[in-house]
Amino acid sequence: MKTYWRSIEELSNPKELRREEVREEAKQKSMLMRGDTELNAASRRDFLKTFGFGIAAASIVASCKRPVDKAIPYLIKPDEINPGTANYYASSYFEGNEYGSIIVKVRDGRPIKIEGNTLSSISQGGTSARMQASVLNLYDDARFKGPSKSGQEITWEKADEEIIAQLATLKSQGGKVVLLSSTIISPSTRDVIRKFAEKQSNVEWIQYDPVSASGILEANKKSFGTAFIPDYRFKQAKVVVSFGADFLGSWLSSVEYTKGYTAARQLQDGRKEMLRHYQFESGLTLSGSNADVRFPIKPSEEGAIVLALYNAVAKAKGGLVLSGVQSSVDISELAKDLLENEKQSIVISGSNDVNIQLLVNGINQLLGNYGQTIGLENPLMTKQGIDKDTDRLLSDLKAGNVKALLIWNANPVYDHPKGKEFAEAIKKTGLSVSFSERPDETTALCQYILPESNLLESWNDMEPKSGIYSLSQPVIAPIFNSRQAQSTLLKWIGADLNYRDYIKNYWKETQFPKQKNTTDFRQFWNTSLQNGVFEMALESKLVYSPEGLSQAGSQIKGAASGIEVVLYESVGIGNGKLANNPWLQELPDPVAKISWDNFAAVPVAYAAENGLKNEDVILVNGIELPVFVQPGQAKDTISVALGYGREIAGKVGDHTGTNLYPFVGTESGTRQYFLTSAKVEKVPEKVFQLAISQTHYSMEGRPIVRETTLDEYIKNPVSGNEIKAEHEEKSVTLYEAPVYNGHHWGMAIDLNSCTGCGNCAIACQAENNIQVIGKEQVRNRRIMHWIRIDRYYSENPENPKVSFQPVMCQHCGNAPCENVCPVAATPHSEEGLNQMAYNRCVGTKYCVNNCPYKVRRFNWFQYVKNDKFDFASNSDLGRMVLNPDVTVRSRGVVEKCSMCVQRIQEKKQLAKLEGRAIAEGEIKTACSQSCPGNAIVFGDLENPESRISKLFKDQRNYHLLEELHTLPSVGYLTKVRNINA
Amino acid sequence: MRKNFLPWHFSEHLKACIPLIILTFFFIVVPFSHKANANDEPEEFVEDHSHEDIQRGERFFKGLLPKGRKFEACVSCHNLSHSDEFNWNPSAVAIAVKFKEKDFAEFQSAVMQPNGKKMEASHKDFTIEEEDLKKVKIYLDDLAITGAHNEGPTINQIVIFLLLGLLMTFALLDLIFFHKVKYRFVTVLILIIAIVVQVKMVADAAINLGRSQNYAPDQPIKFSHKVHAGDNKIDCKYCHHTAEFGKSAGIPAMELCMNCHVLVREGANSGKFEIAKVVEANETKKPVEWIRLHNLPDHVFFSHAQHVGVAKVDCKQCHGQVQEMDVMSQYSDLSMGWCINCHRDTKVNFKDNAYYDNYMKLHDQLKGGGIDTIRAVNIGANDCMRCHY
Repeated sequence: MKTYWRSIEELSNPKELRREEVREEAKQKSMLMRGDTELNAASRRDFLKTFGFGIAAASIVASCKRPVDKAIPYLIKPDEINPGTANYYASSYFEGNEYGSIIVKVRDGRPIKIEGNTLSSISQGGTSARMQASVLNLYDDARFKGPSKSGQEITWEKADEEIIAQLATLKSQGGKVVLLSSTIISPSTRDVIRKFAEKQSNVEWIQYDPVSASGILEANKKSFGTAFIPDYRFKQAKVVVSFGADFLGSWLSSVEYTKGYTAARQLQDGRKEMLRHYQFESGLTLSGSNADVRFPIKPSEEGAIVLALYNAVAKAKGGLVLSGVQSSVDISELAKDLLENEKQSIVISGSNDVNIQLLVNGINQLLGNYGQTIGLENPLMTKQGIDKDTDRLLSDLKAGNVKALLIWNANPVYDHPKGKEFAEAIKKTGLSVSFSERPDETTALCQYILPESNLLESWNDMEPKSGIYSLSQPVIAPIFNSRQAQSTLLKWIGADLNYRDYIKNYWKETQFPKQKNTTDFRQFWNTSLQNGVFEMALESKLVYSPEGLSQAGSQIKGAASGIEVVLYESVGIGNGKLANNPWLQELPDPVAKISWDNFAAVPVAYAAENGLKNEDVILVNGIELPVFVQPGQAKDTISVALGYGREIAGKVGDHTGTNLYPFVGTESGTRQYFLTSAKVEKVPEKVFQLAISQTHYSMEGRPIVRETTLDEYIKNPVSGNEIKAEHEEKSVTLYEAPVYNGHHWGMAIDLNSCTGCGNCAIACQAENNIQVIGKEQVRNRRIMHWIRIDRYYSENPENPKVSFQPVMCQHCGNAPCENVCPVAATPHSEEGLNQMAYNRCVGTKYCVNNCPYKVRRFNWFQYVKNDKFDFASNSDLGRMVLNPDVTVRSRGVVEKCSMCVQRIQEKKQLAKLEGRAIAEGEIKTACSQSCPGNAIVFGDLENPESRISKLFKDQRNYHLLEELHTLPSVGYLTKVRNINA
Repeated sequence: MRKNFLPWHFSEHLKACIPLIILTFFFIVVPFSHKANANDEPEEFVEDHSHEDIQRGERFFKGLLPKGRKFEACVSCHNLSHSDEFNWNPSAVAIAVKFKEKDFAEFQSAVMQPNGKKMEASHKDFTIEEEDLKKVKIYLDDLAITGAHNEGPTINQIVIFLLLGLLMTFALLDLIFFHKVKYRFVTVLILIIAIVVQVKMVADAAINLGRSQNYAPDQPIKFSHKVHAGDNKIDCKYCHHTAEFGKSAGIPAMELCMNCHVLVREGANSGKFEIAKVVEANETKKPVEWIRLHNLPDHVFFSHAQHVGVAKVDCKQCHGQVQEMDVMSQYSDLSMGWCINCHRDTKVNFKDNAYYDNYMKLHDQLKGGGIDTIRAVNIGANDCMRCHY
């Protein structure tokens, strides 16, 4: 069997690591006991016992009165709201350049959960971890409570009056007003801004993205005449080549891409073909981990490789062959594969170098991918910022040319490479206004703060791709004294219209005439609002021209020498906008499995040469960073995530990690997210503790992950899973086989579809009131996530194969945890669930120890209403996100995955009321519902026709540790890699 | 070496007294400390009125003045304290709160020119000097602030518990030091019985902790289920209309009350005073804050839809003869044992609901005659995670 390992320490010396772990555990135990050794244990205990009895008896006999609860009815009950019953509203999410059409679950007036909208062609029911976590942003204490001027509270009327007066003066003097915003994809908002610009005159509107796509936009402007990002259709592709684009993690529209990618790779129902994925990259990203063939390269090598690939394709297709630098990687096999799959391949690059993007366009054009796998009809609109604009703004600001600066959802002081210069320059404007929802480094320097409402409190419309529209509607009245920025702008131009009516009118004029389904606008509006989306097919008139291509080849630079630092957006934190979200901070990085910090990922060989190990500290161009030895990190490169090191974000986000935006460079006008010839030195004797969670549990050399290759699989569908038959044959048991009368709930997880993105962990956290425990406790191996995504490496540590495996409670038929509970707090249900009764649990943790899958979590502390754990659940506002259908666990009890029993109960109830059987796929657990890879299927194993029963009969299906005969209700499907033989 | 946590050297036997000492502390010191706190609070008076005015008003209200009165005392209808007997008339505090913000003229006209049949009848012979009525108003204004003086809970149990404790102490002391009682078994017996009784008292109290059978608090409105559901035969689900499909049966919204009370403004028992509160709540847009009776712990998830909607359980089975209750009280103890017993007995309507079709094995057994009925417990109604998750 293949050897799997979790970290480089385990690979080099597995036994030593295990010993280390045991020592660590023993140390923790002794820390817990230490309190007792100082006093004489026995006599203190006697005292406590007697004292405890005294108090208990006293309070009981004195009959402690129960508090009087009130039941306050509605004055006028809205028809659709029934206490205790959830309502769902379609809305849209757009934050940090990530778009999603969402469904918001509202219980008793509080939005508590976000799901993907299945009607949207972009979301297709999927979400990302960030979308799942965004509901918590609504209940963030750090948000602005109302408008202010220079730190003093001010009324909206007064602020409007003052600013309108100042704008009028500026208008008469012809003073320049700049509106700096992040990318705005709302057509009505763009219209509002246009009107504002018309009224005010001399207004410049600049869109600014901290991590921009300027390279693609400018390259397409040359190739097609307009700046746009094409519509990548991974579902139709057979070969995907990505140069540094983490399209499954954080690049552009990752949920949509994951949906398409996994659909093209899944092998269920007898499918025998799958997409092959090549990835060139420096750090090990989520996409690289899923790639069939991965080439670790330095970022400066990328240009030469793309050029070589272009030339190879051009040679075969009779295109223009370019001269230029030589490639360090042999791409002949890759070119062959691409040429065999013309019109069925996608070549993408995450680079911001216009020349590289021009070459990529050239390759796609030669392969005939445009119009096939790369659509031009509905280009993506989520990144429109052009880097040159902000650079020009900075010089304008410095020169004092900008008289008024309006900042909306942008934080250049933090995330612009020249943030410090921005901070100085903002002070030079006469009027600075921020529309930010929450404090950040930029709002601290603005005169007026006119806080915007959260997206769940706002009306909006969106156009994430041309022709694909969606609506946002408020699901809760503004919690604080906030106002949408659109309303503010409308007020300033004297339009007496609320923004909802404005959108409605705008849709009546623009969207309504485009459709033919109805002639009644009210019906059109209501349908669109209910569905959340309005989509239509467009036709593209764009024609490719090889403009700039011939020069592009010669402008490609060769590989640089020295160490290069790669800057990337992490899957959890993204560009740093959501840094104050504790769920995202605690979500372990999908690959490194580190939470609460960014870190310098260094290659294995480099670490060995320079005597570096995890948690050492290195100085990279003067910035101290903790070291993490990352298998698969390309030679002579170091990867560090952006988005950390916020200074003004809130109690959670402040000072976690280090800000790397100052490292972002500019090359011919576009941002370059890497740094060449970095100076790296070790800081001697210094240790920075990292919250690494993957080494918490070990596979102990057992076949927990099973995998095969496509060729083997086609020859023999059981390949990789041969051991299952052996285990079944040998199985003997003393226990009676469990009998299920009605339902037997089960779950199947296709390892071929799981990309490891972490969405399920956050979806589960939001659904099941899972508490955040903070960096120190994560280090102590106490992370509470009910679903963890294990990541295993295999083969070459310099470029390993990666396997992801979500593991939650396996709901065993013969559950080892059930037999050892002394108080019967965890019995088996009639429906195959391994139940956990929190109020019965006395916290012996026998079950935790006896669980072979290590999925049970113990509440070592009171995590709710505890100042020591000052995260979301320590304030009344933060606790509003709690799901009222799930108990909030207290200190001293064990918890674990319940297969979202509250959802099972809800749907069973509905079916019984309607007198019908439960429909296939009607019940969805939180993890399965929003999985962007459709990797998790939940259903009833007692129903032979159900999807899950079919998957359990699939020859790839296996269970974890079958040899223990625990009879899990969770099954896994073997991972299949599409590697050329 | 074994160090003693206690600073003085205690004999092993005396250690047993520690709980008693602690208990005594709690029962003697705690109640007093509570009182001390109560005395610390500044006494509030109605502005510009002396204590004498209030006292005089109180005497009038309680019927001690005027001498030789020919009418009933106010207090005979308007209760000052909670009484076990149901009293339809507004309580003194309710009147006090209602008229607190209003001037004397309004109060006077309300008292002297009764409004509605019931009030006319009872206030018919009422005569009082204006000056004296003013004193009554002052007293009531004060009452609105201080509230009714509720009598404390019965302390019988505590006294018994304490006496037993004392008895035990004496028995112990006698056993160890004095040896006054001739027969040792007497003291030992006293000790054992006292401990058993105390433990029983504590255990009973502990089991009932958090349970509140027969809980019947005073509601802000003297709403009678007997009048509504009994006399007027209004269906339960007319007001509690989410019972069939929602987890909660629902407290009717104020507008629902107004469906009838837009016309019905005077009750046969309560006159206009109580119904006026509903009307006022609607006009002032401040919903009535009912006192919640049925209160399950947070870790219990109960669904009315399952019981009323699916199982068609009669409301009365859990809530008792509501149609006879003037004051709503909690009928069942809502303990887990009560739930489980019912699940064991309740037959499931297995054949008429297509949901149960997937219970194939049970259907086969029914057909084969292996079993004759399916009860809730057979399909997992007593699983932990049916109610706890």
